[in-house]
Amino acid sequence: MSVTTRNGMRDRMFAAFALVATTLLCFAFGRALLTVNDERIVVALLVTLAAGIVLAERRVTRAPDSALVRGAVSTAPAAVLLAIVALILVFHANHFALLLICTLLIYVTVALGLHLQFGYAGVLNFAGAAFFGIGCYTAAVLTQLAWLPHPVVMVLGGVFAALIGLALLPPVLRTRGHYASVVTIAFGVLFTTFLEINETFGGAQGMHVAGLSLFGFDMTRNIRLSPGVTLSFYFGYAVVALLLAVGAFALVTRIERSWIGLTLDAVRLDETRSACFGIDLARWKIFAFCLGNFIIGVAGALFGMLMSFIAPPNFSFSASLMLVAIIILGGIGNRWGVLLGATLIVLVPERLQTIQEYRVLLFAALIVGLLLIRPNGLAPRRMRRYFGEGSA
Amino acid sequence: MGGHHGNNDKNGERNMLKISGIWLGAVGVLGLALAAPSEGWAKDQVRLAYIGPLTGPLSSVGIGARNSIELAVRQRNADPDATYEYVLEAFDDECKADVGLRVATRAAADDGIVVGFPHYCSAVAIGAVGTYNRFELPVVLWGAVLPDITYGNDYKEIHRVNGTMINQNEHAANFVVDQGYQTWAIIHDTTDYGRAHNEYFSRFLTEAGGEIVGTFGVTADQQDFSSELAQIASLRPDVLYFGGQAQLGVRIRAQMERLGVTAQFQGTSGILSDAYLEGLPPALSEGTLAFLEGAPVDQLPGGAAFVAAYQEAGFGEPFEAYGPFAYSAASLAIDLIEEVGPDRIALRDALNGVSGYDSAIGEITFDESGQNTVAVISTYVVQDGQWTVWEDSDYASGLRSLRQPN
Repeated sequence: MSVTTRNGMRDRMFAAFALVATTLLCFAFGRALLTVNDERIVVALLVTLAAGIVLAERRVTRAPDSALVRGAVSTAPAAVLLAIVALILVFHANHFALLLICTLLIYVTVALGLHLQFGYAGVLNFAGAAFFGIGCYTAAVLTQLAWLPHPVVMVLGGVFAALIGLALLPPVLRTRGHYASVVTIAFGVLFTTFLEINETFGGAQGMHVAGLSLFGFDMTRNIRLSPGVTLSFYFGYAVVALLLAVGAFALVTRIERSWIGLTLDAVRLDETRSACFGIDLARWKIFAFCLGNFIIGVAGALFGMLMSFIAPPNFSFSASLMLVAIIILGGIGNRWGVLLGATLIVLVPERLQTIQEYRVLLFAALIVGLLLIRPNGLAPRRMRRYFGEGSA
Repeated sequence: MGGHHGNNDKNGERNMLKISGIWLGAVGVLGLALAAPSEGWAKDQVRLAYIGPLTGPLSSVGIGARNSIELAVRQRNADPDATYEYVLEAFDDECKADVGLRVATRAAADDGIVVGFPHYCSAVAIGAVGTYNRFELPVVLWGAVLPDITYGNDYKEIHRVNGTMINQNEHAANFVVDQGYQTWAIIHDTTDYGRAHNEYFSRFLTEAGGEIVGTFGVTADQQDFSSELAQIASLRPDVLYFGGQAQLGVRIRAQMERLGVTAQFQGTSGILSDAYLEGLPPALSEGTLAFLEGAPVDQLPGGAAFVAAYQEAGFGEPFEAYGPFAYSAASLAIDLIEEVGPDRIALRDALNGVSGYDSAIGEITFDESGQNTVAVISTYVVQDGQWTVWEDSDYASGLRSLRQPN
């Protein structure tokens, strides 16, 4: 009895230590990536990150059941969440930092939707930006109706993305691998071309989107709390984007750990065998495709309101590739990888503005370098653990 | 005991020496540290922002403009009479609307930045002007030509030294009608930029007595123009007017011959860039017409001085069509900062009152929308792979001739 209590005490101490340490690390890293303006420091940060991941992974594989590792794994979601909340609070008056945080969180949400499709069900979707765009344009059109509350607009953005995605189902279900990707690429190209020639949706120039307003708070203005404290108008967006990202993350986590996640894994890994065991392949592919598009569409609606001006080039095929790059760079199938990938793809090019025309060059070199060190992405998916703590 | 005592004394002395040495050293370093910046920082720093394309297909124009602004900054910093020291920060908008909005927010939300010189791409500028207004950052545009950027809003922060496509197309229409042409086919890209070029050119051309036999909208990233050009070949127009940017113009010009379109090729300020010349063999680019607001840069005293200074500064890239505008925008803003101080609101009001300012592109006068009322439009023609001012060209002197009307 006393031994277990002592172990419990020790475990809790390790967990608390891991929580504090991870929070501080994430906070420091995030703060640096949001403020540093020197390309050398950016490169150093990325090298540190890569080294940190390698070390952490070595530690986890060598002693998966040590109290510290267990503590770190179990508190990681809370730590990352705490760090992001702290960042939003610290930068509450800094418009640009908050805009970056919002953009990052929205891209995380979008990439989680794609992750559900690519990583779990194995349904390829190279038209992520198109579904993102459907969300944006839904917001642009529906925010013109003043009586419609904006949370409803966001949900409808997701619903429309999922509905329009239904049209793609027959070819997506019939094709596999490269062929399925060609189908979605075609849809993405179709989508931008349609927008460019369609005057109702602003044509090639794009459309104005009204700003978000929630429960009577107009989020196009700064919020003055007291004489000394003014919140940036992006603060509200950051909170909503965080809620959205946390919601999507929790949903994806629950799915991965449930029988649904096991089923999706089976569908991805071996279609013939899954069908033999009575799994309805079409049903689960439709489920992952539609739910993924819904998540992407909701994020798109918020993005439209955040940007206040949207145009077809934002949703081109290259933007879709950027989204796919997030999950590939992070490590396909690992929801934590999504977070890492989005951080790199969204924040690093922005931090390299100081080197002007050499920016994209260095960014591309960094990505190639990272993939040389980590060929399967920064944090590839680990084997499912069916037994012991933290299993499934 | 005594020995010990002596030792202690010695130690004490040594310590004293050490301490005073460190003390002296510290005072020295501190003194140096205090003295050094007071020399280097005698002037207050004023930060300016360039925002435009530095990467991507339109980067040559953007880099030329960035260099030109950098030149204006260097010249002022070399002037001992200047009150402030100027620092230029350059931001890349990639000519993409979402990236442009992000860097616009970054520059505008930074209180240390007093003025911005943004945007070559109209599509980026039209989305970003609201941000400058919201953060009260005065900006002077040097490249984007869409009229709505200044005329489509009542933002007091937005100014533009280059003319709009309205003036440009009026001149262009009259010029080509005077050359004896009668029928036109139009290809324009479907961005607001291309569409507005089409709108204004069509309007002024019809007023001048020209006839439009066909109008084709193409997307800005279209690669193959077979179907449009095949139709145009059967319409047999005298002139093919193109409203769009250089990289699209290169593709259309290159594909024209193959599909039997022998019409004269006429562009806008959008193709007036070295990128157009580099993308085509001289035989194809020869005789292409384009138009630009303002007098030809080397024919004004200020412009000639700019060209000489730019060459002397040793930038690796040419200043391109919009370099003189960017240089003039920066010189104007810096002159006003010297006058009213590095304050956004004061500078905004000073900019709104600018009238008859003498610059490298001629006199600058802003109307109530912040638009420079440029009266002069110059015609350019490609001669031997170079953009040449029409009046100086072999075409004007009669040595060469444009394509004959059908």
